[in-house]
Amino acid sequence: MVLMADNTKKIAKDKVFNEEFLPQIDALYNFAYHLTYSEEDANDLVQEAYMKAYRFIDNYEVGTNAKAWLFRILKNAFINDYRKKTKQPTKVDYEEIVNYHNEEDTNFSSYDDLRTEMFDKMMGDEVTIAINSLPVDFRTVILLCDIEGFTYEEISKIINVPIGTVRSRLFRSRNMLKEKLKEYAAEYGYSDKRSKE
Amino acid sequence: QDYKDLIKKVTMYLDNALTKEAERELLREIKSNPNYMELLHKEKSFREFVKSRVQRRTVSPALVQSIKERIKITS
Repeated sequence: MVLMADNTKKIAKDKVFNEEFLPQIDALYNFAYHLTYSEEDANDLVQEAYMKAYRFIDNYEVGTNAKAWLFRILKNAFINDYRKKTKQPTKVDYEEIVNYHNEEDTNFSSYDDLRTEMFDKMMGDEVTIAINSLPVDFRTVILLCDIEGFTYEEISKIINVPIGTVRSRLFRSRNMLKEKLKEYAAEYGYSDKRSKE
Repeated sequence: QDYKDLIKKVTMYLDNALTKEAERELLREIKSNPNYMELLHKEKSFREFVKSRVQRRTVSPALVQSIKERIKITS
């Protein structure tokens, strides 16, 4: 009897995983890639995020915002991974995702850039290089808002900062990006005349 | 200061973060001033420019399979 109940529960969990979590994998991978700038690290990060998502699947409310929930798990995994590499003992508590849907975020932790030296050596599209050369806090909000289409409120919960901070980071990061892309964008017909105001 | 306020409102409008009322008010303002219209166009085109040129990648089927195997997911 217990075995049957366990099996039914597993089938239900697997259904949520297949139908709500896995469809987000490309978006998660792109976010991971822009955080780590390494295909191998992005793969590891996505795998880790999905393992944790499955482990904590009981905390997820079926039919709610799976994408934001998964992004938050991945972002926390990235911070933990980075701290491990820099030998800092503190860790993000994954239990915090229990309260994802109702909590009020009041504090935030800042973390430094990852692999800045690698970005300079990277060849590829100018826009991608420009985004990846932003400090990670600023890069993250651009990716979440302008590339993934999350709202201020969703971003606030994913990166655990107040909405006002999300807005100011977005403003600053877009300005940094415009500065970096000024010449390149002009080639493609975009010009920013703000400085004339 | 007016210009900063306008940029803030245009930014929030493009981020779908304005209330319906604030949105209507902004669009009224924009229609009445060609400079405002130009600002909105520039902001919007920059967003589209960035979004269209950022590299998007697709996950390999092997990664999906690997995740499913590690969790022992039933299809």
